[in-house]
Amino acid sequence: MAALEMVPVVSGSRDGRFAKILIWTGGTILVVVALAAIFAPLLSSWGPKEIDPNGTLAAPGGEHLLGSDGNGMDVWSRVLHAARIDLGIAICAVALAVVVGTLLGMLAGYLGGWVDDGLMRIVDIFQAFPTFILALAVSALLGGGFVNLVITIAAVNAPAYARLVRAEVRTLREMQYIDAAKTSGASTIGIMWRHLLPNSLTPVRVIAPLNCGWAMLTLAGLSFLGLGVTVPTAEWGSMISLGTSDVVAGRWWTSVPPGLALLVCVLGFSLLGEGLQERAEARRR
Amino acid sequence: MTAPAGTPGREAAMTVSLLDIQDLSVVIHRPGRSVAALSNVSFTVAPGEVVGLVGESGGGKSMVARAIVGMLPNGSHATGRVGFDGADVLRMDPADLAAHRGRGAAICFQNPRGALSPTRTVGRQLIDRLVTHQKMTGDRAAESAKELFASVGIRNPGRRLEAFPHELSGGMAQRVMISLATGCAPGLLIADEPTTGLDVTLTREILRQFRHAADTDGRGVLLISHDLASIAEVCDRVVVLYAGTVVETGPAAKVLREPAHPYTRALLRSVPDVNGGRVVPTAGGMPLMTAAPHDCPFAPRCAHAGEDCRTARPETTSLTDGWSLACFHPQETALFAPQEAAPASPSDPAPLPDPQGGSSVAPGASVTADNAEQAGRVVLRVQDAHVVYRSRFGSGGHHALRGVDLELRAGETLGVVGESGCGKSTLAKLIMGLVEPSSGSVAVAGKTVGKMSRVERTRAQMVFQDPIGSLSPRRTVADSIAEPLRAAKVPADARAAKTEAALSRMELDNSILTRYPHELSGGQAQRVGIARALVGQPDLIVFDEPTSALDVTVQAQILDVIADVASDAGHGSVFISHDLATVRGFADRVVVLYLGRVVEEGPVDEVFDRPKHPYTRALLGSAPRLGESRTAEVQLVKDLDEADAATGCALAARCPFVTDTCRSQEQTLQSYGESRAACWRVPELTALIGKSA
Amino acid sequence: MRILRFVGRRLLQLIPVLLGVVVLTFLLVRVLPGDPIRSILGPNATEADADAARARFGLDQPMWKQFLDYLQGLFTGDFGTSIQSGGSVGGEMALRLGPTLELVVIAVTIAVLLAIWLGIWSARRADRVGDHTVRIFALFGNSIPEFWLGLVLILVGYATLGWFPAPSGRVDPDTNLTPLTGADLVDALITGNGPAIASSAAHLVLPVLTLVIGVLAPLLRSVRASALEVLRSEAYAAAAAHGLPEKTLLRGYLRRATLVRLPSLAALVFGTALGSTVLIEYVYSWQGFGQWALRGLLYRDYPVVQASVLIIAFAYVLVFLIADVVHAWLDPRVKI
Repeated sequence: MAALEMVPVVSGSRDGRFAKILIWTGGTILVVVALAAIFAPLLSSWGPKEIDPNGTLAAPGGEHLLGSDGNGMDVWSRVLHAARIDLGIAICAVALAVVVGTLLGMLAGYLGGWVDDGLMRIVDIFQAFPTFILALAVSALLGGGFVNLVITIAAVNAPAYARLVRAEVRTLREMQYIDAAKTSGASTIGIMWRHLLPNSLTPVRVIAPLNCGWAMLTLAGLSFLGLGVTVPTAEWGSMISLGTSDVVAGRWWTSVPPGLALLVCVLGFSLLGEGLQERAEARRR
Repeated sequence: MTAPAGTPGREAAMTVSLLDIQDLSVVIHRPGRSVAALSNVSFTVAPGEVVGLVGESGGGKSMVARAIVGMLPNGSHATGRVGFDGADVLRMDPADLAAHRGRGAAICFQNPRGALSPTRTVGRQLIDRLVTHQKMTGDRAAESAKELFASVGIRNPGRRLEAFPHELSGGMAQRVMISLATGCAPGLLIADEPTTGLDVTLTREILRQFRHAADTDGRGVLLISHDLASIAEVCDRVVVLYAGTVVETGPAAKVLREPAHPYTRALLRSVPDVNGGRVVPTAGGMPLMTAAPHDCPFAPRCAHAGEDCRTARPETTSLTDGWSLACFHPQETALFAPQEAAPASPSDPAPLPDPQGGSSVAPGASVTADNAEQAGRVVLRVQDAHVVYRSRFGSGGHHALRGVDLELRAGETLGVVGESGCGKSTLAKLIMGLVEPSSGSVAVAGKTVGKMSRVERTRAQMVFQDPIGSLSPRRTVADSIAEPLRAAKVPADARAAKTEAALSRMELDNSILTRYPHELSGGQAQRVGIARALVGQPDLIVFDEPTSALDVTVQAQILDVIADVASDAGHGSVFISHDLATVRGFADRVVVLYLGRVVEEGPVDEVFDRPKHPYTRALLGSAPRLGESRTAEVQLVKDLDEADAATGCALAARCPFVTDTCRSQEQTLQSYGESRAACWRVPELTALIGKSA
Repeated sequence: MRILRFVGRRLLQLIPVLLGVVVLTFLLVRVLPGDPIRSILGPNATEADADAARARFGLDQPMWKQFLDYLQGLFTGDFGTSIQSGGSVGGEMALRLGPTLELVVIAVTIAVLLAIWLGIWSARRADRVGDHTVRIFALFGNSIPEFWLGLVLILVGYATLGWFPAPSGRVDPDTNLTPLTGADLVDALITGNGPAIASSAAHLVLPVLTLVIGVLAPLLRSVRASALEVLRSEAYAAAAAHGLPEKTLLRGYLRRATLVRLPSLAALVFGTALGSTVLIEYVYSWQGFGQWALRGLLYRDYPVVQASVLIIAFAYVLVFLIADVVHAWLDPRVKI
């Protein structure tokens, strides 16, 4: 009779293993960065704004672990301390954008009619610009500072969340369980809060981490152009900006370390987001 | 094991088997669990033979199809042999496999619209197959494509070749799919649920295409279906799968009329019959096997199971003449008492022997229509309701309902039947207040639906088509059931008590209360849906195709529950279905809808046994009847591009008895005895049918 | 003809959006803090000097009057006079658009082609080493700050290896290139100026590379994802189960179905690239539109800000319109 050996017909893993690796790697990176930010003063001997009078542009090694910049400030210490403001602004901005965007998207998507038309026209105007350019314009007009930067970045992102949630809600409201809720006498607010909100947040949960990474890049970009956080406050973008002129002369240490730190941190968010996305897709199948 | 011989008269074709599956087992490994999709499956298909592969979802039907074309899912491990023309598909190298797919065996996929590439014209897709497998070139392929389209009954094939899949109707897409598969000139044609989602008037016609492929081109055909009754007519032999094992194999007529395996019998008894026969539900559901079974997988649901069934797995044993089954206790009593097929004569649904002692779904004999009318108060009144879905931009729109009148009293059940697009679902939404009438009125328990408060709206409840989709994914079962009570401001403890009461009436355990919809089976979810509808003791319950998404044996269980619920004197029920047989089971009166109009209405037996309207006759004629094959006395024209006539009778374009009067003027409902129908030609119809027959 | 009607309707829909942009920018630059006059006059100017300057630029007029003047100008193609330079805003802008478009168009074209090829390649090897490599690369590309990448490329390509020219211009002035469009490579090609072609191409390599790496990642991810979706779709499985050859599957069933969703993303990426050029022009001292608009913003040069915001919005929505047309052409399901 038939042979008993196993014949693998198609091979390949479509399970959640890769997703798990992504989520863990990303999560670990972010935890390490967060710890570095919290314990920054313990990890560096110089203060972030402390100026070494007899050491400008000192090469790495010796007194300054990663050298010092043109102002004589310690690069290592500043790279560590910068994580505080970069992470802080990015997370606050995305949280604000999610809350505002979701609220507007739910209203527009569920109520439809003139509410939808009105809100979406405003979103259209916002989305008539590339996001970074919009951030640039808003921050140039609004000015720097923690709160203003949070508002700027949130304002630029909220329309995208509004659109995303609106689309989701428009699909969900055609679902039978929404009809079921209506015929069970649920109120509009009840339907939105109990049925639409929890289900429409699924894509938001995946996008938000990716968006945090993007927010950090935007913040650094603004600071790089002198519009965001400015010297002497330690911020990766403004540190890179300060090192621009050194690069042509071949001095790498003023700009490469903050850039690397930024890259690693954003990568953490990207890995996390990609992993979550992969997991969500694996579940859908 | 010997290959079963075919039906008498077909021996010549049976000598060589084209497909010879021997002891095929497939285990799918997924992280955390394994699924034994198929366990020791053996059967054959010969050239020119049509074999039906039957069973409910989870039985492993699709896995067989995948194994035959060497496309098992990721993580699968297959053992045994899939013999095809002497070679073993499981051990083919990529080049042989590529040659085998299409030319050797070609599948007609279940969902033809999804299986057609959306960005390529269907003609191009057909020509791709012709070029690959029949080595045709340019003009010759185009010519051949046109012929193939014509041969599967596509009108205007030249124009259809240029169409994209999304431009096709379901029936048309299925025809295209068949032409694609036959275009590969395969030795074996596999059809995976070819009639799912098609209207009854189309189903038989599509099935006939497969019989034709076997008879004229000598192809082997494997017809996969969950519905034994509807495919049996075209099959030579039938293979019944349960939980990945073959439970019964045999000549179609034999398996259909004298099934010996309890599962086959359960399957057949679960199908409602248009003649008004009974449905005998079988409790439980198909188990998910994690390894090849060591006992009879059907034993837990089987009335005849003994200790032996639970300790050992029955061998497949041959009975007679290619009939074999895997059961320790084969049943020999007749499934159905002999019955005259006389649809035009008054048939009394005589009580059938019920050897398994299950509860039965019989028409509410205790409450006749007249009786209910006197006893009950009016719970639903729809008067001249029109619904027009306006298109968002500009003029036009879709006229979904055109002047519907209905009246329903408490304790009464109204059946609504019609094909897809007839306005059934719109009617349900209209009654529930989910759609507003463009004109006319709807009143539930005497109150106009549009003017009701939120709490008053819960007086009408609905049971939805998609059982799991009608439950909010992130709410527990308890939350879902209690929702109407919450709206009515019932205090929490009373809510819990009522929820549990409703649940126990559905024969569900309280432990289900904390579960989420995705953790439920379809049958459980639908019971939860019915519990939600019942819990607030409404005046009216609308069942919108409540069983169409369920497996056959589960459908029988749910129909049983619904029959019980519908017979409550406290509320009226509207039962909407495309399946006439389920409606006949327990409706008191029935309404036939066509393109938004009521074309016929009346007491259920009157309409089913003495249909007046040609459309009703066509519907009834195409409905599958167990153990009976006959042609419909009225054949409608199919697959029209524009069936929505501007003036005159809506059916005019499809009706074989159409006159100039029909085309220019619409008839209103006229009384003919107990029922009413909207057709100019009712008086002459019997004579006309006699003439054409 | 249907396509023309579609374009016409979409252009009409753009009017309210662009009008909104015009009104919003006009109001915002004036309402929010900052004074363009003070920034050109210097610290020693008196109040009278400032008033005189305001009168010269019409800023002493009431707001509605200023707005009407601005609108009137727009309809006649007049974007006003720069407060900073005193030159015509339209003229200055024309000079600056060429170099920026040169960068963006070259980079986005390369990125789109590369993404299509790599994305489909990667999806067909899903969950194998090649695919994982491409995915990791895309993740890095998604996470890298472009301006910093630019610096690193300068550090390696110019400061260390010396292969590429210094980041201080777009073409060697000694080549005597006659400016026509402002896009130096194009000008060099038109005038057939051999040395200028070489020089401008060499100057383009690093900034274009920077931009390509930045914008490639999202495109690549999207192409890979949609190719994977097609590969796992029932339609593709059906074609494969009918034994169609690889070549037919790739050409007829995979490629077009995959590219259906690319246009709108490419348009989005075009916007990202526009944003990134502001940073990249800064890094490479590329005298382009971004630099000019940024200066205008920083000094509150009202006419410059208004003009650049409007032109970006217009370009962006126009690109989306083109994307929709391409989408409709690729996907027969789209009704236009």
